[in-house]
Amino acid sequence: MDNIYKPTIAKIIEIIDETPDTRTFKLELQDPEYKKNFTFKAGQFAEYSVFGEGECTFCIASSPTRTDYIECSFKQAGKVTNALRKLNIGDVIGFRGPYGNHFPLEEMKNKDVLFIAGGIGLAPVRCLIWNVLDLRDQFNNVTIIYGARSVSDLVYKRELNEWQNRKDIKTVITVDPGGETSDWKGEIGFVPSIVEKVNPDSKNCIAIVCGPPIMIKYTMPILTKIGFNDESIITTLENRMKCGLGKCGRCNIGSVYVCKDGPVFTYKELKQLPQEY
Amino acid sequence: MYRIKKQDFSKIIDELIKTGNRIISYSNNGNDFKRINSSNELSINSNFKPSKLSLKEIVFPKTEPLFYYKRTNDNVELKDIKFDSEKTIIIGAKPCDAKAFSTISKVFNWDYKDNFFNSKYENTIIIGLKCDYKDEYCFCNEVGLSQSSKEGSDIFIELDGDDYFIYILSEKGKNLFQPFMSYLIEEIKESKVDDIDKIIDLNKVRTWITDNFDSNFWYSISQECLGCGKCAFICPTCHCFDIVDENYTYFEGRRMKNWDACQFGKFTLHASGHNPRDIQAKRYRQRIAHKFKYYFDKFDELLCTGCGRCSRECPVSINIFDVIKEINAK
Repeated sequence: MDNIYKPTIAKIIEIIDETPDTRTFKLELQDPEYKKNFTFKAGQFAEYSVFGEGECTFCIASSPTRTDYIECSFKQAGKVTNALRKLNIGDVIGFRGPYGNHFPLEEMKNKDVLFIAGGIGLAPVRCLIWNVLDLRDQFNNVTIIYGARSVSDLVYKRELNEWQNRKDIKTVITVDPGGETSDWKGEIGFVPSIVEKVNPDSKNCIAIVCGPPIMIKYTMPILTKIGFNDESIITTLENRMKCGLGKCGRCNIGSVYVCKDGPVFTYKELKQLPQEY
Repeated sequence: MYRIKKQDFSKIIDELIKTGNRIISYSNNGNDFKRINSSNELSINSNFKPSKLSLKEIVFPKTEPLFYYKRTNDNVELKDIKFDSEKTIIIGAKPCDAKAFSTISKVFNWDYKDNFFNSKYENTIIIGLKCDYKDEYCFCNEVGLSQSSKEGSDIFIELDGDDYFIYILSEKGKNLFQPFMSYLIEEIKESKVDDIDKIIDLNKVRTWITDNFDSNFWYSISQECLGCGKCAFICPTCHCFDIVDENYTYFEGRRMKNWDACQFGKFTLHASGHNPRDIQAKRYRQRIAHKFKYYFDKFDELLCTGCGRCSRECPVSINIFDVIKEINAK
């Protein structure tokens, strides 16, 4: 009989400090059999654990097209993320996943793709961005709009540069007013107003929006104004989870389990849920 | 259907104990269930009120280990738990308790299979007993059950003077009684259908919940609620749990699955400080809506068997039946 709660072991092979409080781990699955069979889709999440401290939930931030390793990014916030932060290269953690649904990559093919992310909300989007960029010729125009509170709060800085230098995508980076440094060359302004300024073409385009609830709240009406319909706006929900398997009963919104039926939802689906998230 | 003499039934029980089965029966005062070591300790009484704790612990314990871990300098070893396989026979489960097992089996088995639950449930045989108890908290008749409903039971018994009527209902029940068929006397009895008069229209209740998610009603009924979670812990169908690491030493410990309750303020609290159910009204709404709407929508099953425990034991006398009646009257 299988034990669905038992994690597999992953080793930390690289640590990257994204911001003063956000860190990325590059992980290697230790069980060769598990590693061989491991696949996932952009948008799925996993349970990461420090033995003795517990488990916590975040998305897989690397692209499914890169199969040698998994990356996850986490912000130091609670008990387990604090414990994760104390770990070094060579240490091992528990890993269970992948869980949940995923971004509709197939439906996005041969369309324009607009990525909008705020703060650490870039993690799940980054997974999809690399997925799309690794299959670049299957998509039309790609636009990335990313913002954070301040320059130091921007995550994946090295990749932001890479994206900005690429000719085949358009990348706009912004920081909140007051968050800029004296040598900041990007935009200054909140993500929703930058989206309005960029004014992307909504025709034949899918918008992926991830970030803090307040950003999502003010970005949605702007996308609607630009002409996006509710089915072509996609976002993710983050609810507290323990099992990730649709059992433990805390991530539900109405009869929807975010861990099973989500975390990816269209704006249309989101509007049909009880407003309790 | 069969008839069996009480003393013959006791003989069967002794035989089952001898062959290594764990027999669970009401204790003599009717307050709780316990493991018995002889048929002398059996107490089969249809007038008992539902025990203080429900029977769900048998398949879903308050706390249970999921695996053991042992940390070394640069690695960790995980040790599996042997799934519980002790044959368990519950004698005298009320219809409201018997039904609960198959109800929660749905959530533990959709998509991913929780074998901690399954290994116990598969090894549990439920002998239901017709119930003759009714107080102002009972409402099994409103949730599709009755005092003689056999749903969830493998075997069902009814008292009849010095005899029991026995119904063998499932494959499990059939296998259990296979060696003892000589004690049973076949009988044809017209099974009496309970008169069920319902006062609640659950479709109406569900519609009201859907349409009135932001109603002030949720605030007014949850004013007294302490958020103590007692209702969830004694409920036969509440199945929410937490996953927590428990260390014995710095290096060794185990990961546990512990009962949890949606009435606790931290149940849905994010690490960021955001909490989708930040006040008791939202938590109480979750409790009612989960039992009568969400679970029904998802699994086609009510997450309530009307046993009335939560109302009987609530420290501030919140009565779930009254709440449903109130919604029904709107």
